[in-house]
Amino acid sequence: MTAERFKTRSAVRHGDGAAQSAPSRARRARARRRAQLTAWGFILPVVAYLGLFYAYPLYRNIDLSLRSYTLSSFITGDAPFAGLSNYVNVFHNPTFAPALVNTAIFTVVSIAFQFAIGLGLAVFFFKMFRLSGILRALFLVPWLLPLLVSASTWSWMLNSDSGIVNSFLQAVGLQPIDWLTSPKWALVAVLIANIWIGIPFNLVIMYSGLQSIAPDIFEAAAIDGANGWQRFWRITFPLLRPVSAITLLLGLVYTLKVFDIIWIMTRGGPATASTTLAIWSYQLGFGSLLPDFSSAATVGNVLIFIAVAFALVYIRARSRLETT
Amino acid sequence: MTVQRSRKARTIGAALLAVGALAATVTACSSGSGSSSASTASASGGTYTFWDPYPQYSASSPWAQLVSKCGTEAGVTVKRTAYDTTALTTQALLAGQQGNSPNILLIDNPVVSTLASAGLLTATAQNGLSTGEIAANILDAGVINGKTYGVPIGANTLALYYNPKILAAAKVNPASVTSWATLTAALAKVKAIGKKGITFSGINTEEGSFQFLPWFWGAGANLTNVDSPQAIAALTLWTTWIKDGYAPNSVIQDTQTTSWQEFQTGQFAFGENGTWQKTLAAQMGAKVIAIPGENGGSAPVPTGGEFFTIPVQKNTASYATSAKIVSCLSSGSNIVTTDNTLNYIVPTQAGQQAQVSADPSLSSWVAAVGVAKARTGANLGTKYPIISEQLWTAVQKAESGAASPASALAAAQSAATAAINK
Amino acid sequence: MKRRSWWLTAIGVLVTAVMLFPVYWMINVSLTSTPDMRKSPPNLIPIDGTLQGYTVVLHQQLPYLGTSLLIGLGTVAVTLVLAAPAGYSLAKLHPRGGGALSFVLLIAQMIPAIVMAMGFYVIYLKFGLLNTVWGLIIADSTIAVPFGVLIFTAFMSRIPNELLQAARIDGAGAMRTFLSIVVPVSRNAVVTVSLFAFLWAWSDFLFANTLDNGGGHQPITLGIYAYIGNNNQQWNAIMATAVVASIPAAVLLVLAQRYVAAGVTSGAVKD
Repeated sequence: MTAERFKTRSAVRHGDGAAQSAPSRARRARARRRAQLTAWGFILPVVAYLGLFYAYPLYRNIDLSLRSYTLSSFITGDAPFAGLSNYVNVFHNPTFAPALVNTAIFTVVSIAFQFAIGLGLAVFFFKMFRLSGILRALFLVPWLLPLLVSASTWSWMLNSDSGIVNSFLQAVGLQPIDWLTSPKWALVAVLIANIWIGIPFNLVIMYSGLQSIAPDIFEAAAIDGANGWQRFWRITFPLLRPVSAITLLLGLVYTLKVFDIIWIMTRGGPATASTTLAIWSYQLGFGSLLPDFSSAATVGNVLIFIAVAFALVYIRARSRLETT
Repeated sequence: MTVQRSRKARTIGAALLAVGALAATVTACSSGSGSSSASTASASGGTYTFWDPYPQYSASSPWAQLVSKCGTEAGVTVKRTAYDTTALTTQALLAGQQGNSPNILLIDNPVVSTLASAGLLTATAQNGLSTGEIAANILDAGVINGKTYGVPIGANTLALYYNPKILAAAKVNPASVTSWATLTAALAKVKAIGKKGITFSGINTEEGSFQFLPWFWGAGANLTNVDSPQAIAALTLWTTWIKDGYAPNSVIQDTQTTSWQEFQTGQFAFGENGTWQKTLAAQMGAKVIAIPGENGGSAPVPTGGEFFTIPVQKNTASYATSAKIVSCLSSGSNIVTTDNTLNYIVPTQAGQQAQVSADPSLSSWVAAVGVAKARTGANLGTKYPIISEQLWTAVQKAESGAASPASALAAAQSAATAAINK
Repeated sequence: MKRRSWWLTAIGVLVTAVMLFPVYWMINVSLTSTPDMRKSPPNLIPIDGTLQGYTVVLHQQLPYLGTSLLIGLGTVAVTLVLAAPAGYSLAKLHPRGGGALSFVLLIAQMIPAIVMAMGFYVIYLKFGLLNTVWGLIIADSTIAVPFGVLIFTAFMSRIPNELLQAARIDGAGAMRTFLSIVVPVSRNAVVTVSLFAFLWAWSDFLFANTLDNGGGHQPITLGIYAYIGNNNQQWNAIMATAVVASIPAAVLLVLAQRYVAAGVTSGAVKD
């Protein structure tokens, strides 16, 4: 039976147009439907999982943003429909502009450095020197730490008076910096911590990308006389473009959501110096003694929209990459 | 090569399975079963749920044992859950929305008005709690529109701890620190001998507002007008201290704990902190004076401390039993023991006398608590969280130099007014 | 050549040391006694150190470690069971609407964690999953599943079709093909996804805090809160907990690193 199906399929592929009778067409259609059913059978668990666990929280979030909930109507559940007025209020809020700007700076700088450092380290470790395997594994240790601990550790290290970083700066003759308490430096401080936390992820993915490039390409280039730098820019980097694209996209999606690090280190302060959209959303909902869930959900949705927009850009770019 | 690799993979897999089995055994042998906390309320028997913000007290601590004892005395089993205090408000709201509120909720006093306005708490008329003996100023945080929604577990407040060794070396008499001018002069003398002046918590959370209020109120300012000249004077006091180096820059991000840790290094002359540090203070030899008002006298200080509340339940017959448990925990000798453990002051006169006779050094704290004010008092209720958030934002802006005290407070006042009138 | 290798190793060690300095600092704080916590300037080595943090942790935190391990392994299992078949289908079986599913999976990763946590609270309450280990396993898997599908799809699309057709000719159905051919060949992807899923579950705090705070079995990230009281925090105990919690995961990491991601993203490269 299976062999028959195989023969029929190969007959179609080889363009055996003459022997296309109605029963074999029906058999083919049935076979296609069965194949689709099988394909769907494999993805059905994930689809159900998505529907149950992602659709519902998303729906609740959208509902919160389209109605104006007060504390008591949050409990009882009947809040008046507010249309887009929550969104309008959020856009007119004086915190919106700084939050948006900070989010943009934080995201772009984070993924630029995380990617560059991750790629650089991947290339470096790819040279397979002694201990490179163990050192590469050790690089993943920052990932093991709960964010509460990593963020707190960075807070301690960057403390204006008792932090080791300022002691080090003073030891080499520089002025100490108010990392967490100066409006100028707060964003830089959380950037440093976030980049540190994001390096392992980029390292792992880019390293695997390097591993998937056939080694004979490098040998051919070496024979042709290309030096290391040229080899990297002319051959390695272009071949890594699809991996880089997905790494950057995932980096973007994850960085937009970043919350714990900034919250624990500066809580978005001083004032709005390190407030991003994710921080602002949390502040509105859980940062004061009087939660405003509608506004928090609204800001959260704005964040999701921005991420979706970038995802669409990525898909467009990838399809263009595939057609070239 | 492949055979070796798959053997290694099998070994790792077996190791993981063994570890997993070990984990399961360790977990099973250690704690009891985790079931959902549904309350089956009945006057005789059943399980009552009790939530408090004391995760530092494990199931074997005296506090936990006291809670279950009071439950047994009321004829029910009490299931206690300790939450991180910052997460408890959210948990209470989520639970209330889903009809999953605990029978008894111990929560920080400024949140009581929030939960009451959400309709989640019962008033004394419904639950039958008695509040007669409790000092009015301490009870005030639980009174909204004339109805009382909870009973305090104890009161704590702020004062100025000082390091006698540093003050002696700087030739400052602690008794002379009675106003802002004399305090700043003392700080100057301390800085002159190479020590650090004062530390406090100026962070952009409720703790920051809490620590700022004694200076705010001490200048004569009012929470309904945070941009008054008195308020500006109070904020200018803090910013001048930071600028002149009497207070470290880290106060901008210090929690009360972090500020206390700085004080514990022994490098600081003064540390503004609360009653709960008194045992540690005694260990390091630090003493206490009241926070001075601008022109003399003691500054009014805010009340801290948690409230017992009885959330709304479907089964209203459960309120009587919950009230019995709360009374057991909040009266007689139980409350004195509990408050001594928590380092709080008992909210009744009888209790305070018992505490002072056991430990005379508490008399200054009892005096401080006697003149303390509730933050949500004077009918501010749910307006307080809005004002407080703007206040700590303004304090941060001024402290970090992002804005002058006057402009920061003006912005705070307009933002608070706009939010309140929304 | 040998000299160059040592030179590279030296740079590697230096770079790793710089990267791991905060981890060293964490260990330093865990051994610092309370009066020295905010010393300015801070001690580079814990002079007058104390093991108080560790004694407290080893007395109290072992059950939490056990629970974390259980949750980690459970998350790995759930993630693999959900993501591997889906990855195979998207890579080789081409279901209609597969592209849309990939896009939805990407969107799914964009939802902020707090939104998910609040939604889960309601769902879990209805299904009685609140304060249970299984509830946390499912919640933590939502972090890993979309990413897992991505990795599996990329990797499995690289599997030569001849291999699968040979199985078909031998009479194997789709499930047999999947289990006896696709999964063994995708070993590296399995290890990578397992590693990510385990690490993400191990360090999760938000879901644990919202969904398991009242449970009898709590992970280590909540165990830390025993030292974060409402008015005081014991930082050396907190950091000691983190150090102790990192050890099992670090061991796993070193064991698994050889398998991780070798050629995992190759599908994305070869187009």
